[in-house]
Amino acid sequence: MVTMKFPFLQPGRVSSSDRTQRARRWFFVLLILLVGSTPGYETGGVTLAAEGTEATNTADNETVNPGQIEFFEKQVRPILVEHCYECHSEEADGGLRLTTRQGLRNGGDSGPALVPGAPDSSLLVEAIRYRNPDFQMPPTGRLDQSLIDTLEKWIAMGAPDPRAETVTSRAPVGMSTEEGREFWSFRPLASPVVPDLSDQDFVRTPIDAFILQSLNERGIHPAPPAQSRVLIRRLYMNLIGLPPKPEEVERYLADRSPQATRKLIDRLLNSPQYGERWGRHWLDVARYADSNGLDENLAFGNAWRYRDYVVDAFNHDKPFNRFVIEQIAGDLLPDATRETRIATGFLVLGAKVLAEPDREKLNMDTIDEQIDATGKVFMGMSLGCVRCHDHKFDPIMQRDYYALAAIFKSTKTFGDTNTGAIKHWHEYVFVSEDELPEFKALDAEIARLKKEASDWKNSAMTVLRTAAHARATEYLVACTEFSQSDSLVRIAEVAAKYDLHPRILHHCRRHLEFNAEHEVFQFWHEVQQGLTDSQQRRHAVESLYRPLFESATAGESKPVADSQAPTESSTPALAEPAFVLPDVKLVAQALNDQSGFLAVPPKPEFAFDPETLAEYNRRMEAARLFETTARDVPSAMGVTDDTVHPRLPIHIRGSHLNFGEEVAREFPEVMRNSDVRPTFPNHQSGRLELARWMANTQHPLTARVFVNRVWRWHFGEGLVRTTENFGVLGDRPSHPELLDWLTRWFMASGWSTKELHRLILRSSVYQMSANHPAASAGSEIDPENRLLWHFHMQRMEPEQIRDAILAISGRLEMTMSGKTVPLRNQQFVFNHTSVDHTRYDSLRRAVYLPVIRNNLYTMFEQFDFPDPTMPTGNRSATVVAPQALLLMNADLVIDSAESLAQILLELSASDTSRIETAYLRVLGRTPTDRESRRVLAFIEQTALGARMNSGILDGDRIKQGWSLFCQSLFASNEFMYLR
Amino acid sequence: MSESSLQSRRRVLKNSAVGFGHLAFMHLLQENCRADTVVASAADSTTGPLAPKLTHLAARAKRVIFLFMKGGPSHVDTFDPKPLLDRDHGKPLPFDLPRVTFAKQGNLLRSPWRFQRHGDSGLPVSELFPHVASHVDDLCILRSVHGTNPAHGGALLKLHTGSDQFVRPSLGSWVTYGLGTENENLPAFVTICPTLAHGGVNNWGAAFLPAHCQGTPIGNASLNADAVRVKHIRNQRVDLATQRRQLDLILAMNQDHLDRVGTNAALEGRLNSFELAYRMQASMPEIQDLARETNATQSMYGIDDPVTEDFGRQCLMARRFLESGVRFVQVTHSDSEVQWDQHSNLYLGHTKNAAEVDKPIAGLLQDLKSRGLLEDTLVLWGGEFGRTPTAQGNNGRDHNPHGFTMWMAGGGVKGGYAYGATDDYGYYAAENKMHVHDLHATILHLMGLDHERLTYRYAGRDFRLTDVAGHVATDILA
Repeated sequence: MVTMKFPFLQPGRVSSSDRTQRARRWFFVLLILLVGSTPGYETGGVTLAAEGTEATNTADNETVNPGQIEFFEKQVRPILVEHCYECHSEEADGGLRLTTRQGLRNGGDSGPALVPGAPDSSLLVEAIRYRNPDFQMPPTGRLDQSLIDTLEKWIAMGAPDPRAETVTSRAPVGMSTEEGREFWSFRPLASPVVPDLSDQDFVRTPIDAFILQSLNERGIHPAPPAQSRVLIRRLYMNLIGLPPKPEEVERYLADRSPQATRKLIDRLLNSPQYGERWGRHWLDVARYADSNGLDENLAFGNAWRYRDYVVDAFNHDKPFNRFVIEQIAGDLLPDATRETRIATGFLVLGAKVLAEPDREKLNMDTIDEQIDATGKVFMGMSLGCVRCHDHKFDPIMQRDYYALAAIFKSTKTFGDTNTGAIKHWHEYVFVSEDELPEFKALDAEIARLKKEASDWKNSAMTVLRTAAHARATEYLVACTEFSQSDSLVRIAEVAAKYDLHPRILHHCRRHLEFNAEHEVFQFWHEVQQGLTDSQQRRHAVESLYRPLFESATAGESKPVADSQAPTESSTPALAEPAFVLPDVKLVAQALNDQSGFLAVPPKPEFAFDPETLAEYNRRMEAARLFETTARDVPSAMGVTDDTVHPRLPIHIRGSHLNFGEEVAREFPEVMRNSDVRPTFPNHQSGRLELARWMANTQHPLTARVFVNRVWRWHFGEGLVRTTENFGVLGDRPSHPELLDWLTRWFMASGWSTKELHRLILRSSVYQMSANHPAASAGSEIDPENRLLWHFHMQRMEPEQIRDAILAISGRLEMTMSGKTVPLRNQQFVFNHTSVDHTRYDSLRRAVYLPVIRNNLYTMFEQFDFPDPTMPTGNRSATVVAPQALLLMNADLVIDSAESLAQILLELSASDTSRIETAYLRVLGRTPTDRESRRVLAFIEQTALGARMNSGILDGDRIKQGWSLFCQSLFASNEFMYLR
Repeated sequence: MSESSLQSRRRVLKNSAVGFGHLAFMHLLQENCRADTVVASAADSTTGPLAPKLTHLAARAKRVIFLFMKGGPSHVDTFDPKPLLDRDHGKPLPFDLPRVTFAKQGNLLRSPWRFQRHGDSGLPVSELFPHVASHVDDLCILRSVHGTNPAHGGALLKLHTGSDQFVRPSLGSWVTYGLGTENENLPAFVTICPTLAHGGVNNWGAAFLPAHCQGTPIGNASLNADAVRVKHIRNQRVDLATQRRQLDLILAMNQDHLDRVGTNAALEGRLNSFELAYRMQASMPEIQDLARETNATQSMYGIDDPVTEDFGRQCLMARRFLESGVRFVQVTHSDSEVQWDQHSNLYLGHTKNAAEVDKPIAGLLQDLKSRGLLEDTLVLWGGEFGRTPTAQGNNGRDHNPHGFTMWMAGGGVKGGYAYGATDDYGYYAAENKMHVHDLHATILHLMGLDHERLTYRYAGRDFRLTDVAGHVATDILA
C-alpha cells in the first residue's frame, strides 16, 4: 500500500478541516498552462506503449482492473496531458509531477495531490474546483465542469493509475553544506605569510609585498609613484570628498620631511569631513533614504538621526564589530542607549509596501528585505532567493532562511499608527509623556488647516451648485443648442450666452445623452429630435421644464399634473398629447442629485473661476507648508522586540499561505564553525545573539566583506569585485592571501577602520601613478588591472562632483548634521498630485541632501548614485548624454561657474594669471601656455559673439566668457576623473 | 567563457555605455550580447548599446505606445459588459470575495452606461467611448487580465516592472535593453507626464539594467502637456552659437587630456556624449513642437477642445516620438487626482475621464493607421487594475486586480477580437486568464523577444521581466 502523508493532519498544526487553510498549504505559484496545444499522449520521452496498457500491477502491486485502466487512459490521462503536463512534468512546478502515478501521490511541495477515494480531501480537486481565489489550477482558467467531474470520479474510484515508472526524489539543486564549507568564502580565515620581498624599494607595507609578488609572477612592473600634486588630490577626494585648496597643495609640496604624507593622512582622517565622506559609503550599503519610496512615499522624517549616527561612527572610529552589533541589536544591548537604538534604524530603512492590505504578506516581505539587506551588507550573501527555495548556487537552505526569519519575526518593525491604508514603521520616541501634548496640538492644527481648506472648497462648490440649481431650465434650454460631440470651446460660447457654467453645461449635455430614457429627460430628447427649429426647441423645453422645476423646488404638495403642459400651439410638431409629465418626486431627485444633470465638476480646476481656485490653492498650500515646517516629535526609526517566535514554519515557495516543516531560530549552517549550538533566550528575539555571532572573529564572512569594501572605496575596485556577493556566482578574490592577511590584521587592530585606512594609504600600491610607462605591455598581460600594476582612474561620484564645484567656487556651506529633509515625519513626499515639492538648492554638503526614493536629485541620478533600496558597495560610473546636458545647463553648475568667474575677475591680476588661478583651483595644476592662449581666445570670441547678438552689456559679456570657461573646466574629463 | 570574464565584460559595458548613441564598444558588445543572454547583435553593423539589435523571433511590432489610465478604469463600465450585473443589481455577489480586499464592499452595482455593438466584429463598447468604439475592429480586447496587488502603488509597480516588492527594471527598459533604438539622438524610452506617486520613477526606471535603458521622463502628471520638457534641455543664459563654442573648448580640453593619459573608452565616450547632448537640445524641442502638425491633425487629437487638449497633446507628441524612432513611449492619463480611481462618484468621474481620452485615443489610432504605422506599432491601453462589480458606498467601485480589461491594437495582434473572459459579474478573470506576467511575455513576444531568454545577470542571478512566470497568449497573434 502506498504510504500517505498528511502533513496537515499532524498534531499541533492548524486545523485540517478548514478548506481554505488546506488550500493555503498547497499553493501553486506561477504556473502557466498552454491549453490545447499538446496533441497525443506522448510526453517526457515516455510513450504510452512503453508503459504498457496491459499492465495490471503497478510498481507497488496496487491492483488496477482493465476497466479502470480504460477509464484512466480514455478520460483522465488526456486531461492531465492537455491541461497539466506543461508545468507538472519534467519541470515539476511546485515540486509536483503529474506524469507518473507516484508523482501524483507523493505530491509536491505542499503534500500529496490526491487522497484515493476521497475527492473532497484531495488538493487536486480543491484546485480545479476553482472556488478559492488563492488556489486555482489550471492558472489560465477553470476547466469545463465535465472534466472536473471526470477527475473527481476518478479519485472517488481510488485514482487507479496504471503508470508504473517511479520518480526519484528531486536532487538538491545548489551546493551542499559540506561542499560549501570548502568554498573559499566560507573557509575559516587563513594565516598567510607575508612574502619576503623586503629588499625591494616598492615594499613599504605587507600589502605591497603581496601585490608585488603576484606582479612578479606575471612579469609586470608596478607603475611609478604618483606625482605629489596628483597624490594630494587623490587623498583629499578619497578621504574627505573635497579637493585641496591651492595653498594646501603648496604647503604639502613644500614639506620635504619623510613624514609629510603620513601627516597629511592623519590630518584628513581627523577632519570631521572624513566621516561625511566615509559615512556616505556606509549609507550606500545601508540603502539609506529619507523617504519610503515604493508604493507610498512617506517621509522618513527622522532617518537623519541614523545618518548622523553613521557619520559620527566613522569620525570616532567606532570598532566595526561594535558597529555591526549596534545596527542589528543596539536596542538589546545591556548598555543600550539612545544612540544604539538609533543604530537599529538600519533594519527599518528598507523600502516597504506600506499600503499592502495583506498584513501577513507585508510582515513577511519586510522580514525578507531585512534578511536580504543583512546578508548582503554584512556577509556578502544574497539570502533573499532562499525565501522560496534552497539557494540554487550557494550552500544556503530554506531552513536557514526561516531560522533567521524566526528571529526577525520576533522583532517589531511596524508601529501602531497609520495614514489611512498606509502603515507606519516603528519609532523610538525621545520625549516624555508630558511633552507629547505639544506635538498633539501641532497634529490637530495641521488637521484643522486641512479641514478648513476642504470645507472652504465644499462651500464654494455649494455656491456653484445652488446657482446651477436656480438655472436648471436654462441649462436644459442651452443644451438644445449643441450636440454631445461639440467642443468645449463651442459649448463655452453657448454658456456665455446664457451666463451658465461651461463645464456644468458640458456635463449636462452628456448626462442627457447617457440618460435618454430617464423619465425626466425623455421630453427633452423628443423635443431635440422632433423639432428642427431651434427657436421652437428652446421654447418647448422652457415651457415644460420651468414650471416642472418650480413645482419640484416649491415642494411636492403642489400637483404638477395641473401645470401647463405644452400646448399644441407652442409645440406644433409634437402633436401627440400623449406625453405624461414626470413624477414631481423624480424631478426633485434629478435636481438634487449631485451626480445628476447639474453636477458641479468635483475637480476644483474645472469648477472654480481663477480667483476662487487661487484662494483654494493658497489655503491648501498654507496647510501643506505648516505641516512641512511643523516640529517633529523627537524620535528615531528603530526596531524593538515583539512576541517571540522560537520556531517558524518553512513557507513553501515563499508563500505565507502555505506552511511546511517548522524550524527553530538558528544561524546559516554553512557559516557555523562550531558544533556548540547557540542558545536563544525565550524572552528575546535572538537578534543580539545573531549580531554577536556575525561580529565574532570566527565568522568567515563579516570582517572579510568589510575589509574588501574598504579596499573598494580606496581603489575603485574590490579584491572581490562583487562587494555584495561572496557566493558562488560572485567574483573570486584577486589576491586571496592578501584579503585574509588584511582581515586578520584588521581584527587584531581592534576592528579599527582608521587603522586599516592608514595601512592601505601608506602602501606603495595606493600611492602608485595611474599612468604606466609601459602600459601596453601591462595591458596585454592584465588588461583589467586586476593585479594592480597601476592605480585605477576613477570617475568622481556625484557628491564629489557637486561638493567640489561648490567648494571651488566658494559656495559650499560646511554645517554638519541635523534634519535636512524638508518634510515632516510621515508626510507624503508625493501624494497623488505628483507636484514635486522637493528642493535641492541647499548649499550644504551632498551627504545632507534629501535622498528621496522614487525621485532622486537629478544630479545624483545621472551620475550613478545607487538605488537607495538596494545595498550597494560598488557604484557604477556610466557615461550618458544627460550628464552632459546637466553640466551644460543646470543652475548648480552655471551659478557656480559665475561665482568662480566673479572671484577671478575681482583679482587684481592679469588675465593670464586669472586663468592660472582657475586651473589651480579646479584642476590643481597650472595651465600650459597653449591652454592659456586657447582660453584667452575663447573669452575674446565670446565677447565678440555677444556683441553681434547685442543686448548684453560689456561687463556682463566679459563675465560670461569667464563663466563659460570656468564651466568648461567643471565639465572637463580632467576634473571628472581622479587619477 | 568563464564566469568572471563574462562579468568583467558586462562591467565594462555597464560602466561605459553612452546613452542616446553609439560608442566604439562594438567588440565588447557583440560578445556581451550572446543569443542566450541578450539578443544577437548584427555582426557587421556599427553598433552601440542602443543600436538596433536582431531579435530572438520575428518581430511583429517595432515600437510600443502604452496609454496608461492611472487609477484603474472600470472594465464592467467600458469594454466588458455584464448583463447579469444589470439583472442582479443590489443583490450580494453570489460567490466569495477575495481573501484580501482593499476596502469594504457592498452589493452588486449595475453600470450607469449602455453598451452597444460596433464594427464588423460587433464587439460591445460602452457609450463612454464612442470614438474608440469606431475603431473596435482594430482592437484586441483582453478581458481576462489579472494582477496580484489591490493597492495603487503595488499594482502600478507590478504592471510596469513585474514586481510589487522590489525595485526592478520597467517594461520599457527591458524592451530598450533587448532592442536598442532607431534614433541615436533620442532616448529609446520616453514617458510623457508620468505620475510621481505610487512607485514614481521606479515605473520607468532601469534598476540594475545599464543606464541607457532608463526611461526619460518628460514632465510629470502635475504639469500641463504643453509645458513639459526634458530636464536641463536648454541653458537659458546663453545662446546656442556661444554654447557651441563652449562645447568646442570642452572638447579641445578633453582631447588634450586624452592625448596625455592614453586610450580610454570612458573618456572617449564622454567626448561623444557632449555632442549627443548638444544635438538632443535641438531634436527634443523639435519633436515636442506640435505646431508643426496641420490643424486637421491637431483637431483629430482633440487639441482644439479644452476637454481633450491635454491628453491629445500627449498622444500627438507620442506619435511624433514613435515616428522619430523612439522605441517605447508611455503617456499617462493622470492629473492632480488619482484620475480613474472612482471609489465614489463613478458616474461623474468616469464620464469626465472618458471624455478626456476618448477622442485623442481614436485620433491616435486613426493617425497611426493613415501613416502606415499601426501595423508595426503596438498600442496598449489600460490601468493598473479594474474595478469591482460590487459597490463601494452607493456610487463607487473599489480596486479590482482579480480580473480586468486592457486592450491592444496594431503591432501584430488580432483586431476586432476579444480574448479571455471574467466571470458572470466581472469579478474574477475566468477564461484564458492573463496574468500581468503573461501580458509582459506577450508584449515581448510581439516585439520579437523571448521573455525567457531576455535576461540580465545582476548580483549573481539572471533576472527576467517575467521572473519565473509568463506565458505568451498566442491566441491573440494575428
